[in-house]
Amino acid sequence: MKPVWTVARREFLERVRSRGFIIGTVALPLVVLILIGASAALGSRGQQARRNIALVDFTGYLGERVRTGLESSGYQVEVVPRDGVDGLDGRVADGEFFGYLLLDDLTLEEGAAVFRGKEPPGTLSEGLIRATIVQSALAARLRGTGDGRDADALLRGGSLEFESTSGESSAEDLRAATIAGFVGAMLLYMSMLVYGTFVMRSVLEEKRNRVVEVVISSIRPWQLMLGKILGVGAVGLAQLTIWALAFLLILLLALPNLVAMWPLLDELGDMSRFVPGVGTVALFGTYFLLGYFLYSSLFAAVGAICTREEEAQQVQFPIIMLLVFPLILQTSTLEGNGFPWLDWAAVFPFFSPILMFPRAVAGLVPGWMVALSIVLMILALVGTAWVAGRIYRVGILMQGKRPTLPQILRWVREAD
Amino acid sequence: MVEFAIHTRGVGKTFGNHTAVSDFDLDVPRGTIYGLLGPNGSGKTTMIRMIMGILLPDQGRIEIFGVPSDFRSRRRVGYLPEERGVYEKMRVLDQLVFLGEIRGVDRSVARARASEWLERLSLAEWAGRKVEDLSKGMQQKVQFIGTVLHDPDLLILDEPFSGLDPINQEVLEAIVREEQARGKTILFSTHLMEQAERLCERVCLISRSRKVLDGELKILRREERSGVVAVEFDGEGSWLDVPWVESKATVGEGIHVTLAEGTDPKRLLGAALEGGVQLRRFELVEPSLREIFVRHAGAGPESSGPESTGLKSSGSLEAAS
Repeated sequence: MKPVWTVARREFLERVRSRGFIIGTVALPLVVLILIGASAALGSRGQQARRNIALVDFTGYLGERVRTGLESSGYQVEVVPRDGVDGLDGRVADGEFFGYLLLDDLTLEEGAAVFRGKEPPGTLSEGLIRATIVQSALAARLRGTGDGRDADALLRGGSLEFESTSGESSAEDLRAATIAGFVGAMLLYMSMLVYGTFVMRSVLEEKRNRVVEVVISSIRPWQLMLGKILGVGAVGLAQLTIWALAFLLILLLALPNLVAMWPLLDELGDMSRFVPGVGTVALFGTYFLLGYFLYSSLFAAVGAICTREEEAQQVQFPIIMLLVFPLILQTSTLEGNGFPWLDWAAVFPFFSPILMFPRAVAGLVPGWMVALSIVLMILALVGTAWVAGRIYRVGILMQGKRPTLPQILRWVREAD
Repeated sequence: MVEFAIHTRGVGKTFGNHTAVSDFDLDVPRGTIYGLLGPNGSGKTTMIRMIMGILLPDQGRIEIFGVPSDFRSRRRVGYLPEERGVYEKMRVLDQLVFLGEIRGVDRSVARARASEWLERLSLAEWAGRKVEDLSKGMQQKVQFIGTVLHDPDLLILDEPFSGLDPINQEVLEAIVREEQARGKTILFSTHLMEQAERLCERVCLISRSRKVLDGELKILRREERSGVVAVEFDGEGSWLDVPWVESKATVGEGIHVTLAEGTDPKRLLGAALEGGVQLRRFELVEPSLREIFVRHAGAGPESSGPESTGLKSSGSLEAAS
C-alpha cells in the first residue's frame, strides 16, 4: 500500500500547490465575499438615498395607504400637502428627496401615477411602488362598494398552503429539500465530471512524458492508478469542503445585508432551511465518493487507451453521456417527482448519484431503495475497477495507435 | 552469487509485421560496463524495454540477477529511458524524492541523497525550481539522479549520453565508472561507437533486430584484426609494390597497408628490410569498433528480410565528434 500513498500524496500536493487550485478554491470565494460585502455596504447607503421619496396626494384617500405600504418595504415617505407641490422639483434638485409621487383620480381609476425625479427608479423599485399603489387603489375602491371586510390579505396575492399527504414535512421544508437535492445533484455531476477529467489528464500526461515507464518498472499499475484516483479525490474533497464553508460564511455574513438591500429576498423565508443537515451531508459524501471512484476509474481507462488529449475527448464521450443523461432526466422533473420509473432508473449505479441523491434528500423514495442504490454502486465499483484496472495496465505502456474495441476486450480477458 | 546481472535466451518481439528483436541471447556479467550498440531502429530500445517489463516478449525468457524479471527484481534496477520521463511541472527536488520513494527509499533518506547528487552534478541551486525551467541537458542529469537514487545494483541506461555537452558527457562517464568500481553493473545502449570504445569492457552489436557479435571488447578486437599494418618509414615507398599488398592508404604520418588474405605480417617486415628503408613504426592495427561493426553488419546475415521493410532498420552509424 505504501507506493499508493506516495503516488496519492504527490498527486494531492502538486495540485493543491498549483496556481489554478489556489485561485479557484481559495481566492475566488474570498473575492466573492469581499465583493458582496463591499457592494452591500456601498449599496445600502446608495439605496437609502434612493428610498427617500415624497408623495403628493390629490385624491384624499390614497396617500396614507401608499405611505404605509411603502414604508413597510423600507422606504421613507414624506406626504407633502397639495400646495407644497411647486417647491418639490427644487427639493429634489437639492437632494432632499430622490423623487416624488403624484397620485390623482386617474390613479384611483386605472392605477396610473407619476413619479418625478432626476432619474427613473430602479426596476425593482418601480415594481414595488406600482404594486403598492395598485393595492391601495383596489383597497380604496373595495371599501367604496360598502363591503367593509378587510381585503388586505386578498390584495396581497393570497397564499397556497401545501399539506403533505404522507405527513411530517412542511411545504417549506420540502421545497428547501428539493432545492438542496437539486443543487447537490448538480454538484455531484460537476465534481464527478471535473475530477474524473483530472484523473484522465493526469494519466495522459504521464503517458505523454513517459514518466509512466519509469514508475511502472518500480510499482504495479493498479497501485499507480489507485494512488492517482485517491490523490485527485482528496483534492476534490478539500475543494468542496472549502467551498461549502465559504458558502456558509457568505450566507451568514452577507445575507442580512442582502435582505436590507432587497427586502423581497425576505419572502424566501428563513434561509437557515437551506443549510444542509448532517444526514444530507453524509449522504452527499457517500454518493460523491462512490460516484467519483466509479467514474474516475472509467476516465483513467480512457486516459490509458489514448495518447493525445484530442483523442481522449472523443473517447470519453460515452462516459460524459452516462453523466449528462441522468442530469437531463433530473432537470426535467424539477417540479416534483415526475415519472415513477425514474425512481428505478435512480437505482442504476451510474445514474444513482445524480438521480438518487435528490430523491433521498427530499424523502421521495423509501429508505430501502436508497440502500439498494448504494449496494449496487459498490458492486458496480468493484466490477468497473477490475475492468478499468486491466485496461489501464496494458494501455499506459502503449504508444501510438489507439486500440480497437475488440483489442481492449482482449486486454480485459487476457491480462494475467 | 549469480554470475549474470542480465541473462536472456531466445527473446523475440514482433510489432505487426515488423520484427523488432529476434532470437536474442544476452549475457551481462556482474560488475561490468556493457554496451549495447547498433544503429537507430536496430532493436536496442525494444530489448531494454523488454528487460524492464515495459514490453512483454513474444518468445524467450529474461532473468535479472537469476530470477525472472518482475517487480521485485526490477527494484534492484535503475532505468533511464531513452525518451526522458519527467514531470515538467514538478520541482526538481520533489521529483527526485518521489522517484526514490516509489522504489522504497524513505523520504528523508531520498531527500538527503538527492541533495548530495544535485550538489555533485552542480544542480544544487536548481533544487527548488520546476523541471520545465531547466535546460534539456540539466533535465537529463536530473533524470539520471532519479535513476541512481535508490542505489540500484544494475543500471540500465538507454542512450544516456545523447543530448549532453562534452563536459557533462565526461561527468556522466566518470560516474558510470565509479558505480562500476562500487560493484554495480551498467548496461547502456548507444549508437556512438567511439563512446562505447572508451567506456565498455563488453559490447553487444545489434543490427536489424539481431545480435551480430558480442563479447569482451579487447578479445573482439584482437580476433578482428584484419591484416592492416600501419607503417612509418624514411625512404622510398617502392618496397610496398608487391602483389600481396592489396591496398595502401596514407593516414597521418604513416601508411596503412592492407595485406592480402592469409599473408603473414612478418613478410612485410622482411620486405622493409630488403627495401633498405628505415622503419619508424610497424604496428598491427586493431580495427575500431566502427570497422568491426561495419564489417559484420554489412556482411552479416540478411536477417529480417521482408519484415524489416517499413521501418528504418539500417540507419547510419553516427560518429561522436
